[in-house]
Amino acid sequence: MRIATVAAAIGLIVCTVGPVAGDRRKSKTYTVTIEGMRFQPARLTVARGDTIVWVNNDLVPHTATSEAGSFDSQIIQPEKSWRLSATKKGEFAYICTFHPTMKAMLHVQ
Amino acid sequence: MKMSAIGVAVAGVLLFPMAGPLAQSVNDAQIASIVVTANQVDIDAGKLAASRSTNGEVKAFARLMVTDHTGVNKSATDLAARLKVTPQDNPTSQSLKADGEKNLAHLKTLKGAAFDKAYIDHEVAYHQQVIDALDKTLIPGATNEELKALLVKVRPAFVAHLEHAKRLQASASTQG
Repeated sequence: MRIATVAAAIGLIVCTVGPVAGDRRKSKTYTVTIEGMRFQPARLTVARGDTIVWVNNDLVPHTATSEAGSFDSQIIQPEKSWRLSATKKGEFAYICTFHPTMKAMLHVQ
Repeated sequence: MKMSAIGVAVAGVLLFPMAGPLAQSVNDAQIASIVVTANQVDIDAGKLAASRSTNGEVKAFARLMVTDHTGVNKSATDLAARLKVTPQDNPTSQSLKADGEKNLAHLKTLKGAAFDKAYIDHEVAYHQQVIDALDKTLIPGATNEELKALLVKVRPAFVAHLEHAKRLQASASTQG
């Protein structure tokens, strides 16, 4: 619920601020593959307005969860995916909340 | 002391039957049975620990074991069905099952921190031995390419679980 509220709030910011910054640039979609208990690539740089899709190719469920609480995919089941619109600049360290060995970084510039 | 004894026991159960003359005779149907049994044993221990442990991190790990090994088992049984391979009981899967039952019986006599320690110690030894079995026997022994690929695919999950269990073991020992 809290996440939905935050997402809605971010959405509003994008609607009001986004077009000014990214009007002429075509937004891109990037894929992060979750395979072999790793996020690949482990570090991804995107621009604001781009979309990131996490695809779970493992046999077990995972999450992509920002350590600072900026985003949380909740459970991504095997063979499922989750997408995020990059709306906020910054370095976002994220993990799988189930598997503490899985860490990665999303850089939104 | 106790942990190493368990480790040796698990090692003996998992590796001895395959290290000897039986090594060549482990076929795909037997490998399927070993995989399914190995996962089921850890699901059963996880269910017990999820309900009995009073430590939040241990409970979360136990629930994860149930979820992940159920997922692996589903893939293994789906593949076996598709390949029309009927998992075939064998000395290794029988030993795994017996060891799992022994572990459960032992865990049921324990409570609190002693329970958590015994559960996690066994998880460390169990995952290490399954990884060894995958590397030395199961992956090299699998003849069907899809079965071999599945074994390769599940290996990182066992490695991550081992690492996770070791962290819990270390944090428990630093907490005294």
